[in-house]
Amino acid sequence: MSNGKIISQEPIIELKHIDKHFGSLHVLKDINLTVHKGEVVVIIGPSGSGKSTLCRTINRLETIDSGEIVIDGSVMPKEGKKLAELRSQIGMVFQSFNLFAHKTILDNVTIAPRDVLKKSKREAEEEAMQLLKRVGVDSQAGKVPAQLSGGQQQRVAIARSLAMHPKAILFDEPTSALDPEMIGEVLDVMTELARDGMTMVIVTHEMNFARRVADRVIFMDGGSILEEAAPEEFFAAPKTQRARDFLNSLGDRESRS
Amino acid sequence: MNGAHASIRDVLYDAPGPKAKRRIAFVTVISLLALAALLAAIVRRFYVTGQLDPKYWSIFLRYTTWRFIGRGLLGTLQVAAASSVLAFAAGMLLMMARVCRYRVLNAIATFIIELSRGIPTLLFIYFFFLLAPQFGLQLPSFWRITLPVSISAMGVTAEALRSGVNAVPRGQTEAAVSLGMRSASVFFKIVFPQGFRYVIPTLISEMVIVFKDTTYAYVVNYADLMQNAKVLISNYDALLAVYLVVAVIYIVINYLINKLAATVERRTRAAVAAAK
Repeated sequence: MSNGKIISQEPIIELKHIDKHFGSLHVLKDINLTVHKGEVVVIIGPSGSGKSTLCRTINRLETIDSGEIVIDGSVMPKEGKKLAELRSQIGMVFQSFNLFAHKTILDNVTIAPRDVLKKSKREAEEEAMQLLKRVGVDSQAGKVPAQLSGGQQQRVAIARSLAMHPKAILFDEPTSALDPEMIGEVLDVMTELARDGMTMVIVTHEMNFARRVADRVIFMDGGSILEEAAPEEFFAAPKTQRARDFLNSLGDRESRS
Repeated sequence: MNGAHASIRDVLYDAPGPKAKRRIAFVTVISLLALAALLAAIVRRFYVTGQLDPKYWSIFLRYTTWRFIGRGLLGTLQVAAASSVLAFAAGMLLMMARVCRYRVLNAIATFIIELSRGIPTLLFIYFFFLLAPQFGLQLPSFWRITLPVSISAMGVTAEALRSGVNAVPRGQTEAAVSLGMRSASVFFKIVFPQGFRYVIPTLISEMVIVFKDTTYAYVVNYADLMQNAKVLISNYDALLAVYLVVAVIYIVINYLINKLAATVERRTRAAVAAAK
């Protein structure tokens, strides 16, 4: 593997024969994907390829027509208590941060541990402060999200996920809504998480980051997984024409800017 | 003029130049003269008809007059407060029934909301005052005014709350759900508190309407401000004086409610802006 990291064979996330339609549009076509403990999987592909939908499918923010989602050995049901419980084990970081607008930064991080894990206020707040410190926004704990920059908000969102001690975290284009000068600070936090052994599924357009952090790159187009490879292998010699076209188009864009 | 206080005027017009300034001065003078003339005509009319006679106004020098007005005001405030609370509670239930996942409840709530919004308050009052007693429902006059006013306001309240809840971005729910929160927690801890903040100004405007609707109390012989004013008028024949004083009291209270709305809106705007 790319980082010389040893990844266990213990599956955390298993997607089996996932199919999904938006009306007549077939957005996910027979998706099979297993993410192992400690593994960092980066999903790339052109817009409309289904990569965000796939990411949101993992914790059932998107419904599926058929197939099975297994989280650490448990099949994810369609509804109810068990679904909520499995969701709580998988963190999610969104493109638009989605911090709770009416709550302070500290409360954003403590609300789920208190509501779902029934932790005491004190215990939750102590841990939240440690997590906020880890992502470098502990000095903002008393503010509301609107008072923070986008980069700070996204780092709070990561701390909010970590507070639930998730078995894996899903990142749905976490830097796409950020001003360019703030992308680095968020990617730094994510790189550190990866180094600490967090299991991560990341949908991103940041190719350099993907190259550096991914254990495995998934290339999607038209609702299917077309390629699956170690990053050095994928970026040096993509096997499909569509992956080559995609990487070339990115190269053009980068050289133009 | 800075961004925070930019009004519609600043958007529509350029800053006035010398010519515009002269025109503004001219319009100001003319308007003030016209207003003065109108007031003078009104006062003259009252003078001619004898409404300005001291005998009509001297009643306000007596403590008992003010005590009587005060009691009426207290009655008005009690009805207004009880109606606001009831309308909010019923509106909340109707809103939840309207947005819940059960189609049957959605339909029932929609029907009740439409009745509440579509029927004039006075008809609800006649229902409780004239019709209900025939079926053996004898209510004290306080409830004969409070219930109809509440029922009339609950539909609008439910719709205001619903529009607030609907305006909360979907991402807020998704974030809460992905943390493992159950739907009741998501609604009461995340969605509703934000939606409620969006519509506080609307709800307070609705309170003004409730407050004004309480003047129907005279229909059911409940001693509110308006009813007591009528008693004063029939005793002293002081039509203008009493209505003027009562109008001022209504204006002051509604002004205070609106002021409260503006303050609350300003305070919550920052928090609301973040949800985008």
